[in-house]
Amino acid sequence: MPLIAPADQEKLREAFGEMTSAVRLLFFTQTLGCETCLQTRQILDELPPLSDKITIEEVNLVLEREKAAQYGIDRVPAIAILGEDASKQAKDSKIRFLGTPAGYEFMSLIHAVLLVGGRPPSLTEDNRKRVMAVTTPITMQVFTTPT
Amino acid sequence: MAFVSPSITAFAVEATEFPDLARKHQVTGVPKTIVTAGDAQVEILGALPQNAFVEQALAPVSAATREPEHQTKS
Repeated sequence: MPLIAPADQEKLREAFGEMTSAVRLLFFTQTLGCETCLQTRQILDELPPLSDKITIEEVNLVLEREKAAQYGIDRVPAIAILGEDASKQAKDSKIRFLGTPAGYEFMSLIHAVLLVGGRPPSLTEDNRKRVMAVTTPITMQVFTTPT
Repeated sequence: MAFVSPSITAFAVEATEFPDLARKHQVTGVPKTIVTAGDAQVEILGALPQNAFVEQALAPVSAATREPEHQTKS
């Protein structure tokens, strides 16, 4: 049984239809000791059938620790969202999700996919300028719960 | 913000799955945002209007760039 209801699948298919560039979801997982990795993989697997612009790539945290470190991931399940630049090369959006993207987190993930896929950012022009002026590395952690 | 700036990385953290992180940052309500820039750190509680959120989130780097001024004054 699909985790995403058929009616929601249709809405997502329509929203994804407006994507102008490809999005790759790097899914960080491990075989043992991760209770929620399987559920996360199941949720993610339901996205590519809804859009030919979305792909999933699995990264094993234990076997590919260096690659995980490159994306600042040290726990699972985790997702890093990659977009592409003007020349179609992979470009890290630097947006990450730690934990199962269920409930509200699922909607946040969808918004992030649409943003990286070409939807205009919701930042106002003034705020965009402020944010673009940042040169010091900043890490933002937004803590949420599924409900 | 992360998408727009090459200097910003954003993590959405599911607090119940990572209680160690939630405890470390004393997360008792959500959303709670922790912004870290070097040694500077700010906490933003709740969801704020965009202008207020951007202002608070960039406060650590604003402080870092203002620091030399404070030093010349003292």
